[in-house]
Amino acid sequence: MTWAKLKQALGRMDWTLILTMLALLVFGITFIYSASYRSDDIPAGSFFEKQIVWALLGLGIFMVCTLVDYHHLRNVSWGFYALGLVLLVLVLLVGKKVYGAYRWLNLFGIQIQPSEFAKLTTLLALARFLSRPGRNLDEPVVVGQVLLIVAVPFLLILKEPDLGSASVLIPLAFFLMYAAGVPLKTLLILVAIGLLLMPLGWFALGDYQKERILVFLDPGRDPLGAGWNNIQSEIAVGSGGFWGKGYLKGTQNLLGFLPRTVAPTDFIYSVVAEEMGFAGSVLLLALYAALLTAGIRAALVARDKMGRLLAVGVTSSLFCHVTVNMAMTIGLLPITGIPLPLLSYGGSFMISTMVGLGIVQSVYVRRFRR
Amino acid sequence: MALRDLWDDEYLRLRVMLIGMMAVFIVLAAAIWKIQVAEGKDYQRDLMKQSVRRVRIPGMRGRIFDRQGVRLADNRPSYCIAVYLEELRQPGRWPKTIAAVEKQLDELSQIIGVPRRLTREDIQMHIGKRLPLPLLAWKDLDDVAMARLAEKTLLTPGVEVSTEAVRVYPQGKAACHVLGYVGRAEIDKNEEDEPYHYYLPEMAGKSGVERRFDDLLKGEAGGRLVRVDVAGFRHDDLGVREPKNGNDLRLSIDIRVQKLAEEALSGVRGVAVVVDPQNGDVLAMASSPGYDPNLFIPRISAGDWATLTGDPSKPLINRAAAGAYAPGSIFKPVVAMSALENGKSTAQQAYNCPGHFELGRARFRCWFTPGHGVVNLQQALKHSCNVYFFHLGLQTGADAIYHMSQALGLGQKTGIGLDYEVAGTLPNDAWKRRTQNDGWRDGDTCNLSIGQGFLTVTPLQMAMVTATLANGGTLYRPRLLLETIGANGLATQRIAPQAANDLHWNPAHIRVVRNGMLDVVQGERGTGRYAAIPNVQVAGKTGTAEYGRKEEGKKLGWMIVFAPFEQPRYAIAMMVEDAVSGGTTVAPLMKKVLSGLFEDAASAGKGEG
Repeated sequence: MTWAKLKQALGRMDWTLILTMLALLVFGITFIYSASYRSDDIPAGSFFEKQIVWALLGLGIFMVCTLVDYHHLRNVSWGFYALGLVLLVLVLLVGKKVYGAYRWLNLFGIQIQPSEFAKLTTLLALARFLSRPGRNLDEPVVVGQVLLIVAVPFLLILKEPDLGSASVLIPLAFFLMYAAGVPLKTLLILVAIGLLLMPLGWFALGDYQKERILVFLDPGRDPLGAGWNNIQSEIAVGSGGFWGKGYLKGTQNLLGFLPRTVAPTDFIYSVVAEEMGFAGSVLLLALYAALLTAGIRAALVARDKMGRLLAVGVTSSLFCHVTVNMAMTIGLLPITGIPLPLLSYGGSFMISTMVGLGIVQSVYVRRFRR
Repeated sequence: MALRDLWDDEYLRLRVMLIGMMAVFIVLAAAIWKIQVAEGKDYQRDLMKQSVRRVRIPGMRGRIFDRQGVRLADNRPSYCIAVYLEELRQPGRWPKTIAAVEKQLDELSQIIGVPRRLTREDIQMHIGKRLPLPLLAWKDLDDVAMARLAEKTLLTPGVEVSTEAVRVYPQGKAACHVLGYVGRAEIDKNEEDEPYHYYLPEMAGKSGVERRFDDLLKGEAGGRLVRVDVAGFRHDDLGVREPKNGNDLRLSIDIRVQKLAEEALSGVRGVAVVVDPQNGDVLAMASSPGYDPNLFIPRISAGDWATLTGDPSKPLINRAAAGAYAPGSIFKPVVAMSALENGKSTAQQAYNCPGHFELGRARFRCWFTPGHGVVNLQQALKHSCNVYFFHLGLQTGADAIYHMSQALGLGQKTGIGLDYEVAGTLPNDAWKRRTQNDGWRDGDTCNLSIGQGFLTVTPLQMAMVTATLANGGTLYRPRLLLETIGANGLATQRIAPQAANDLHWNPAHIRVVRNGMLDVVQGERGTGRYAAIPNVQVAGKTGTAEYGRKEEGKKLGWMIVFAPFEQPRYAIAMMVEDAVSGGTTVAPLMKKVLSGLFEDAASAGKGEG
């Protein structure tokens, strides 16, 4: 590749997306260090070092996904979908039990979370299905088929049980149907049915899930057990004030009020909020807003419907994760195990997020020329 | 253009979607504003009030008793005094605070009568590194110090006392190898996500029974949410999750018998294992030298550890189960039983012993150089005649001996469950080809017939074999645990004796071997006659095996016995390193053990006489 061509190719890339992504990665690693920091003479643990490795690996995968033409995904999306389901079945059969749930699968010595992978493959399958030329989205049967595509991984993830990851699939399908052009009337009927079915869902929940919802409604219910995280993360966020307490100075985290295992993962935002205050929270939200805008822009300029739906799918998945995670940290939603994209510690989610962003970039690079 | 409209609609939908997402973010930002800025002060006050400390309470570890209910392992409270530096903070520069802390520590030291352990540097270091965490000023204070503290004053602000249970072994060295010891437990993975200010860890068994039955002994940790005022006083408990105590264990060990065995072994390196031949109960398992398991509590000092591990007599090793040794002549009863049970020889079969035995060009010696003359099986056992057993072994064949030994549990772990147990070596042709790259020869059979060569056994295995000879053919699995007693003292679970193998020996065959063994101790000029005690018929077998390098000429002395002869209550295997022979070195020690065991019988005899 000549220099001119390389320059041209680099120029076609969405640098807003890349820079925002890098900023969030650095943000994440910085605060994972803080979350596992105790004092200078105690090593901060391997979390943040591992996260650096995951981030670098993710960047490589991001590049590969950018280079690969997303049209190839058309041919493999059903295959990936099937693979995702196989992994979900496998994790139920031979998975590793952590805190009473089968969420981890040991593949050749690497621990993976098939639910993260399945979120992505379901997204691919939905985009493929809805973008097929000649699909008449006005027919209710199409909606039924979409629900079927979502229901299988949804139920398998629910079985692990991982309510948080499973529930992300529902808004995802909804966003995709909306973007694909399913009539508003159909969507509204779906929402109505969903609301009616909600009370039934209560009986399908496991005891600990019910407990979490009850604790959400009344945090004082079990201050030593399930309510602890709710109360402590809220105090952490609240005590941050406008400017925060300063990096590595968050006492909630340092003193162990925030559990050391969830501080770098699902509750990373409360560490950010405590140490960087409202200013940090807004900065974080702004970065995510920029990322979402870049995603929707990629959808707007996409060459075809497949590309558009892929970009919408990835963007709405990011949106759901960010919103649910932050809302749960500040006590607006019950605690579900949903990580914060690019910030939370965790390999599987990091990789699947970077694959998703790589696909968005791939869509953007091959955009409609005007 | 209809198609164009559709596209437009889709673009519109995308824009609506983005606007919707941004709207949600703005709502989120508003909510965060409310918490962080509008109500931030409240939360900061909450944080200040976070004198709520979450304390983990470890479950009390179960106690261990001997079969009579004597305490072998127990728990005692240990008190620590911690200081919260932030709560002692003085206005002005840090040195002022440090001086205040030092003054505080000196005062406390006066009160409790224990010298100050922390230096000025320690305090400075703590301020620099982990100010918010408590600084541990004294650990493991005794009741006297605590009583002084309690009577003197109320605790000063910023000073806190915490209690921890630590293990104690009231019997000291006795049964140390059986009991094992505990160490600080690793943090439980399942509790990782539970945040604690005080993670009071429990103890985990690191060796012996403490390790084998750790799951039964260890309790389940609870927690307590304590509101502490600025002075560090516990105000109220906001929530408690009661810890669950572990199970108490009653062992088969009889501490009286154990101490008898250990006293007999004092000053030598060796082993004594006493089992009940009727059910496989391990009454004593002594290995000498031993160590004091209390050294490991709460943690062993580097110096003590170096002394224990550096000692050439290896006090940490339980020779009874972790040591495999050549059995020598105590193996002969096994050879005799394999010959008789396989129909390869009879009790009447006699061989002439001229003091040596020739196999091809090799010459095997009997230990008695002048020779035993013509002897039958019973006499051969009594005198431990090697030549007789060379003939008998070759007649019987290595395979038959191998299978009988295997049926008696040799070459396998007994299943007592102690982590350090070894299997020993039971050789045969396949084994020799695999490990020595050489086939089995008649010379190997001759060596095997007198318990020499490749064969190695643990004293525990030999005690179980002796018990089998004593009870007429039932090999028991050694039983160490009699019952577990639930935390409330009510739910007890008894562990039934377990037969590992029933050998269905012909009573006539075992009678011959037992008679031979009776002659060993009771007969005139029997090799084990120094073990005889008044009024009790004892049967046994002595053995002497070479070990170490040949030039050193070191010998192991062995003796196995069971008694009383008619209804055996004890089967004993004893081994002493660096011995002259089993008959001269071990038999007198065995006598000490037997005299202790049959103390009543001996005094009763005196009374009658």
